[in-house]
Amino acid sequence: MMNLFKLTAISAAFVMSTQTYAESLAITNATVYTAAQQGVLKDATVVIESGNIVAVNPSEVSADTIIDAEDKILTPGFIGSLNGLGLVEVSAVADSRDGGDKKATMTFDPSLAFNPRSSLIPYARKGGITSNVIAPYGGDDIFAGLASLVSLSGEFDSVTRQGVALHVKLGAKHEGSRALSLQTLIDTLEKHSERDEDDDKSKGKEAEILDAVFAKEIPLVIDVSRASDMLELLKVKARFDVDMVFAGAQDAVLITEQLADSDTPVVISAMDNLPGSFDSMHAHLENAAKLEQAGVTVILTIAGDSAHNLYQLRFDAGNAVSYGMTAQGALAAITSNVASAFNLDVGQIAPGKPADLVLWSADPFEFSTRIEKVWINGTEVSTQSRHDKLRERYTTDSEMPRAYTK
Amino acid sequence: MRKYTASLSAVAVALAVAGCQQSDGPQGEKISIEKNPYPSTYQPMPRQSTLITNATVLTGDGQRIDAGDVYMVDGQIKQVGKDLDVQADVTINAQGKWVTPGIIDVHSHLGAYPSPAVESHQDGNEMTSPNTAAVWVEHSVWPQDPGFNRAREGGITTLQILPGSANLFGGRSVTLKNVPAHTMQGMKFPEAPYGLKMACGENPKRVYGSKGVLPSTRMGNMAGYRKAWIDATEYKRAWEKYEADYDAGKNVEAPERDITLDTLSAVLDGDILIHNHCYKAEEMAMMIDLGKEFGYHSGTFHHGIEAYKIADLLAENGNCAALWPDWWGFKMEAYDMVQENVAIVDAVKNSCAIVHSDSDTTIQRLNQEAAKVMYRANDNGFDIDEAHAIKWITSNAAKSLGVADKTGTLSAGKQADVVLWNQNPFSVYAKAEQVFIDGAKVYDRNDEKYQAQSDFMLGQR
Repeated sequence: MMNLFKLTAISAAFVMSTQTYAESLAITNATVYTAAQQGVLKDATVVIESGNIVAVNPSEVSADTIIDAEDKILTPGFIGSLNGLGLVEVSAVADSRDGGDKKATMTFDPSLAFNPRSSLIPYARKGGITSNVIAPYGGDDIFAGLASLVSLSGEFDSVTRQGVALHVKLGAKHEGSRALSLQTLIDTLEKHSERDEDDDKSKGKEAEILDAVFAKEIPLVIDVSRASDMLELLKVKARFDVDMVFAGAQDAVLITEQLADSDTPVVISAMDNLPGSFDSMHAHLENAAKLEQAGVTVILTIAGDSAHNLYQLRFDAGNAVSYGMTAQGALAAITSNVASAFNLDVGQIAPGKPADLVLWSADPFEFSTRIEKVWINGTEVSTQSRHDKLRERYTTDSEMPRAYTK
Repeated sequence: MRKYTASLSAVAVALAVAGCQQSDGPQGEKISIEKNPYPSTYQPMPRQSTLITNATVLTGDGQRIDAGDVYMVDGQIKQVGKDLDVQADVTINAQGKWVTPGIIDVHSHLGAYPSPAVESHQDGNEMTSPNTAAVWVEHSVWPQDPGFNRAREGGITTLQILPGSANLFGGRSVTLKNVPAHTMQGMKFPEAPYGLKMACGENPKRVYGSKGVLPSTRMGNMAGYRKAWIDATEYKRAWEKYEADYDAGKNVEAPERDITLDTLSAVLDGDILIHNHCYKAEEMAMMIDLGKEFGYHSGTFHHGIEAYKIADLLAENGNCAALWPDWWGFKMEAYDMVQENVAIVDAVKNSCAIVHSDSDTTIQRLNQEAAKVMYRANDNGFDIDEAHAIKWITSNAAKSLGVADKTGTLSAGKQADVVLWNQNPFSVYAKAEQVFIDGAKVYDRNDEKYQAQSDFMLGQR
């Protein structure tokens, strides 16, 4: 177990199992961080059948395969949020980018372009990421398009659920005024709420999306940083009775009470602590903890190029803990809180949930900790990527040029 | 006189050489170039003799001392060891805590690309000519950048500010002490050599190729460097001839000053160190040969994503490699990342591996950046401990900047640049608790008196 990385034959690194186990698997003797109401369970057993968790701590364990976790920590797979994983290979290579389009509007759905074979995906799995909410970066419109849930299995059926949120861009603008953006949002919601449902002209894809927003099936996820902008949006939220999630939200710490009272989750980077703009003068390493303490649902995500850097999510969570967040709160911020904000079925170790699980050598947020095993939908997946192949090539002695070492 | 292809700098040299003619009459005053026109005014902050006892001490030169003491007097490290029998104005019992040298970032743009990142603050990249060796980034540094304070809270005591990478020659760097000051000179590291920023690869060819001027290709990049070094060689020769003739009593006119060629010829003299933005193995190898062609040392390669492919070559030629643990994929030349890059470069004899940030956020956590490398490398067959890994952000970084005789290790006589960590700095939960520069406490996490705030942040609510 300790030498898993070394023992894993490199030739097997890219072999992904395509079968779904019908057999049952039990992981025994684990310290289970459930990210659910049960909290942390010591010496616990998790039973998996047909890709789902069917029991946690059953009175009796029977399974086709039993793995002794040796007291190590089992967590739900972590969930990335609001990035372009699978929508970009190399950021500066235009032909490899599909996360936005100048003409993108509310109906833009980049999940149609999702590439499960992107080299970014096995690399993200090294960080214990098993699923991810991909998001459009949009175009000229205030509506960037639809966010979707994807699995990191690497299989061609990775898009788990299309359209889990409608993404809106508000706040500071390079040209013009943010006031007009907000007015556009209000006008759009107003027009939809007043429409005649029997009128054929009001039907169509946009109307369906807004129907889902008004039915609270999907939230509006809004890029916004300044506290006063968030307060304006909370008025919109109350008026139209829709769900909102604020992303960026560097100055959310100024309005924790209003966010908690309105049950509005925030997606933040734990590492944001510079006044990058006049919208984010209160970015601070303690913000995640302060928001948690105030009862705000906090989701942690990676700032900047989060598609390539997603594997670092566990370290960001560790930093949030070192600045006052509870360890279980930080775990929820990269698992169950993502699920609750976007109405997803993943992110907890509980009966009925998909068996997206990670077994860690120790504290999952520490640098010294290794990943021992990762399961997605109950199937063990590799944590090797082409980066490992490159390392092996250049650290293996050979009389032949490196190109012959595969 | 040699024939030149027409270029502005070649014309300048032609004029300069023409101006160096002998004429009749007595000698005029000898002209010489002022090499330090913007001198440091740095003064250490108020300080007392300080003894840190009972700490886990990483000295920065590979040693670890458990239950060790560090004694600072008059701004210098006086003694490092166990159970020191000395008197100090201040004694800190550091039971359970760790001590390292001050952390050094060899690649920062703080002050030149400060926060807030508004248009008025974009002062780091003079993207108007492929050769802007004439510009000095110190003339762009805004000392009120709040990022300096955040970096100090992460233990950064010394940092090199570099111009950006749009140009083949981006301009001069400056090395700063990370003290709060309201002038650049008040931060300037006394006697630190200047650096010259060069850039390989995609950036210069993209920036100038899109304008339809050389370089638009990697071969254009190389041609641009070579032309510039030829000009610099001629300029250097013209000044040497002037000085020799003058010293021989001849009445000669000095060559015309050219601040682009001042910088390049100072590199040829060995007074300015090269800091080369260069990602790819084949390009770093060519830059090493370029240095040999023109008789200068190719210095430190920054962002060398593919440094692991040429670890032997870097060590053989005395090049440092300043690297990220895990940045990748943002452009084609950053695609072949391995998380063990620093460790692979480091494993070769006579190597100089460095962890750098190039970031206003990760500069606050270079200890964590080094931790990522150490643990991932150890997962994959390396055997690196904290005492060794700390060199990547202390002594090796000091060597790259030409200040290794002054800082980077905890050894007697060095500047007392010291960080007291609340625990093992290779933990995600570690924080710098107290930071000293030249023996003066410049940051204390538990004492607001030692927490500086920039003018910009003052009174914001």
